[in-house]
Amino acid sequence: MSVQVVAAKMAEVELKDVSAGKALPAESPVTPTSEEKTLARNEPQKEAGSSAAAATSPPAEPSAKAGEGSRGLLAPSAAKIPQASALKHSDPQQNGGDAFVNRDGTVAEAPRMKKIQFADQKQEFNKRPSKIGRRSLSRSISQSSTDSYSSAASYTDSSDDETSPRDKQQKNSKGNGDFCIKNIKQADFGRREIEIAEQEMPALMALRKRAQGEKPLAGAKVVGCTHITAQTAVLMETLSALGAQCRWAACNIYSTQNEVAAALAEGGFSVFAWKGESEDDFWWCIDRCVNVEGWQPNMILDDGGDLTHWIYKKYPNMFKKIKGIVEESVTGVHRLYQLSKAGKLCVPAMNVNDSVTKQKFDNLYCCRESILDGLKRTTDVMFGGKQVVVCGYGEVGKGCCAALKAMGSIVYVTEIDPICALQACMDGFRLVKLNEVIRQVDIVITCTGNKNVVVREHLDRMKNGCIVCNMGHSNTEIDVASLRTPELTWERVRSQVDHIIWPDAKRIVLLAEGRLLNLSCSTVPTFVLSITATTQALALIELYNAPEGRYKQDVYLLPKKMDEYVASLHLPTFDAHLTELTDEQAKYLGLNKNGPFKPNYYRY
Amino acid sequence: MSETAGDAKPEVKQASKEVKESENVAEKYSAMTVSKNSEINMGELSSVLSAVPTHKPVKKQIQFVEEKQEFSRFPTKTGRRSLSRSISQSSTDSYSSAASYTDSSDDETSPRDKTQVNSKGSSDFCVKNIKQAEFGRREIEIAEQDMSALISLRKRAQSEKPLAGAKIVGCTHITAQTAVLIETLVALGAQCRWTACNIYSTQNEVAAALAERGVAAFAWKGESEDDFWWCIDRCVNTEGWQANMILDDGGDLTHWVYKKYPNVFKKIRGIVEESVTGVHRLYQLSKAGKLCVPAMNVNDSVTKQKFDNLYCCRESILDGLKRTTDVMFGGKQVVVCGYGEVGKGCSAALKALGAVVYVTEIDPICALQACMDGFRVVKLNEVIRLVDIIITCTGNKNVVTRDQLDRMKNGCIVCNMGHSNTEIDVASLRTPELTWERVRSQVDHVIWPDGKRVILLAEGRLLNLSCSTVPTFVLSITATTQALALIELYNAPEGRYKQDVYLLPKKMDEYVASLHLATFDAHLTELTDEQAKYLGLNKNGPFKPNYYRY
Repeated sequence: MSVQVVAAKMAEVELKDVSAGKALPAESPVTPTSEEKTLARNEPQKEAGSSAAAATSPPAEPSAKAGEGSRGLLAPSAAKIPQASALKHSDPQQNGGDAFVNRDGTVAEAPRMKKIQFADQKQEFNKRPSKIGRRSLSRSISQSSTDSYSSAASYTDSSDDETSPRDKQQKNSKGNGDFCIKNIKQADFGRREIEIAEQEMPALMALRKRAQGEKPLAGAKVVGCTHITAQTAVLMETLSALGAQCRWAACNIYSTQNEVAAALAEGGFSVFAWKGESEDDFWWCIDRCVNVEGWQPNMILDDGGDLTHWIYKKYPNMFKKIKGIVEESVTGVHRLYQLSKAGKLCVPAMNVNDSVTKQKFDNLYCCRESILDGLKRTTDVMFGGKQVVVCGYGEVGKGCCAALKAMGSIVYVTEIDPICALQACMDGFRLVKLNEVIRQVDIVITCTGNKNVVVREHLDRMKNGCIVCNMGHSNTEIDVASLRTPELTWERVRSQVDHIIWPDAKRIVLLAEGRLLNLSCSTVPTFVLSITATTQALALIELYNAPEGRYKQDVYLLPKKMDEYVASLHLPTFDAHLTELTDEQAKYLGLNKNGPFKPNYYRY
Repeated sequence: MSETAGDAKPEVKQASKEVKESENVAEKYSAMTVSKNSEINMGELSSVLSAVPTHKPVKKQIQFVEEKQEFSRFPTKTGRRSLSRSISQSSTDSYSSAASYTDSSDDETSPRDKTQVNSKGSSDFCVKNIKQAEFGRREIEIAEQDMSALISLRKRAQSEKPLAGAKIVGCTHITAQTAVLIETLVALGAQCRWTACNIYSTQNEVAAALAERGVAAFAWKGESEDDFWWCIDRCVNTEGWQANMILDDGGDLTHWVYKKYPNVFKKIRGIVEESVTGVHRLYQLSKAGKLCVPAMNVNDSVTKQKFDNLYCCRESILDGLKRTTDVMFGGKQVVVCGYGEVGKGCSAALKALGAVVYVTEIDPICALQACMDGFRVVKLNEVIRLVDIIITCTGNKNVVTRDQLDRMKNGCIVCNMGHSNTEIDVASLRTPELTWERVRSQVDHVIWPDGKRVILLAEGRLLNLSCSTVPTFVLSITATTQALALIELYNAPEGRYKQDVYLLPKKMDEYVASLHLATFDAHLTELTDEQAKYLGLNKNGPFKPNYYRY
């Protein structure tokens, strides 16, 4: 593949600011002990408490590291990152006991998964990289993606087979038994799922075709730990088509599509994953992926950092020989920055979470559509002429505002950052404080990433029938707890829709109990997942083929050229025809005809 | 000012990175650092201009040279160009629309030979005619109406006098808007001496008004090359007064002080530079290790960039087309070449008026953005026969060639929003078989032998500069940014800024934006203490990490 780039080092420069702010306890990526886990599961309250404590208490750390930060002016504050993996698979009750609902309105069988997902999310956001706790303005696909998996629920979930897959001996049709999944016989179902996904992931299919002749991953031994879904399967089979050998485990104990895992196993992939793993199973699967005789991985594709952590801790010799790590989630990226900060990262790693294309799709484009979808599905509201207030004008807020304006709504914006506020003004939105419009609006949407943006006092003053929902993060933006008082009556009118009735009969429509509307009541399009998967594949190719010395022992952003290539692979979907520079034009601009086309600081 | 406590350090890295990129180019241009009117350029100039019959030919000519020079001086190794135009280009034009009342003065004596005294008896200035001061004052008052940000800065910071003791020497266009800036600086405690950065752009009556108020202004419209440097020298070289801050647009003043008064230069506390050109001259100096004072690049601040490009062009495309052609946009098929900030602005504006917009792009990321924004991404050749309007905003050359012009339909409008006059291959239309008809100023019909007409606007030069104006609001953003940069550099504690070129700290950028919110009656929400703690932010900003894309 000709997609080779030198620019990646610049990525590092851009990130210096970030990494400098990473004052984390170096020992933090510890494997959660089993006691911790049990504790967390049995006593969610306590667990939540301890994470809150983690967020505020350790004063020693920030002051100790203050000198290292590049911005000494700002008091290193709060937002301490909790212990890395402790939350990931725990805290099932945090998000209450309501069931998750599918697209068709039926209740899915996987309510627990939903809960886990939220725990996850919370953790990801608490783990922000910089000392001052600035948050990434995007959600990682590893959060949003779980949802689309749940809507594509396993056909075969209700299997009556209660034997743990670990205790079963299964072989695929070729006689290979190097995998561990729920039921190999479901392979045909899974294949069908994968084929459907292939239709919607033309970029990966194009990548297969373009790069197949060269086999850019020939000799690569990729060990992966991601959600195991049809979309991931397309990614794995692409990697395999490009010459890689893959062994795979799941990064979430609930998100695996069993039949897809079966189809992969049938196709000869060593997959260790099933839906509903225990904590122990989870680590066992990861270990089986890594610890195999006569095979030693040289690339890691990770989502959440658990696999990287396991290899780093348990197989340090193997870790040293890895050629590169590709990490997709916010959490995982920050665990890598920690390692790097502590000087313990001895291999190059690629942060694909912050690539331009992925960020735009995870936030702006995805939310622009899901706000309308989520509101329609839950409330069947008509948007024309409605007065809407959108709290926050970041990427998510921009998307929501644009969509609602296009539907004829009257949109107000609240913002704390003057630059974004000025953007809102110039885009034709009235910039107000929430208090000024709270009595008149029909819909309140939060997308600030902050907490208690809508408080009880606001809720008290809303007009009858006002819809309140959250597109931001976690469930902190609307102070839902304040509505659990005796004088208010809660009525569940649909799944994810609550009417809260005041003594004077005023009703407020609260969606998803203040959790993320776009995850709870809408889906993530395969197109968005395709962007992520393509980015991952290209990152692997880049790291694997980079000449010695291009990448040092550090965390890199995806080179701009690869980012551009990801975008270009998705253009055929739109039948978009890219113009090529003539030689003369390229010379005039001082650009290479094949890109990169923009300097690193370009804002898009 | 409490707002001055910015986080400048992270910016350093960005700055130094740009410096690295610029290294190769630096040498190439080191020969060009003299002046806009230097010999080298006059050659190019005359060839560009020989065919340009505008109503203000001379001034136009100079402007284009400048422009060309600025763009050819791009900083990166690969010659990537800034995706914005510096205000120092665009601003020249709005001056021309605000023509001096008193231009047709019959007084042919050079101001250098006159002795003038203002009403307070001071004669430390050199302007065309001090008697025009009252006209100028009126102009300044009008500008003040639209520059409420600077006025509120005056109010907010007046008691603190953050510039007390600052001795600022400035070299910018001298217009009513600049006058508001200068008087703001004076109100904040600074002493100012000012000169013009362009020999044609000075509004004489504004210069007179400044002189009347005691600002030592040395500028008049139509200076000679020699006058230009004489004025700069008079600003700097004065007994009993030594500048400690420089506000520059184009880098000429900085260059002069650096070359002629190295001792003064060493004692400067900071340089604020607004233009692309000037910024790159600073990066060169810094690269060569010769920059011994901190400098602030205000050209690349977020707010300024967005306003110079996206917002400004979004409006001027419609304005420019209407003024020149009175075209109706609804249902028209338009192709916009390039989907950067300028292209995004043009496309959005035209779409909003009901035009059918196609986009051409070379960068897949921008192309994908165009797709997601609902525009068809095409190659120019695919739609060239269909479209009614062609707009170029690529920054490239020969985007629209003769071959394409030949295939356009009758009445197609062709114009350029990008840069310079390279995007449309206008020279290829100067062939004997084509007839040129000037139908209005800035509007040419080019007629093919078969009677087909193509409407070429501004002869392929920048539509938004030639046929539209720059709103005072945009100039206000720039002026406010400059004022804050001066305050920041002047008040920064020892050691915050080293001998390097810095970007404006994000916090100042946010402050510029916040000062302009009042215009929109916009009410910014404040974080509660609890929320600020939760986010780990200071309640007063900065609110975003440096890599945030907005």
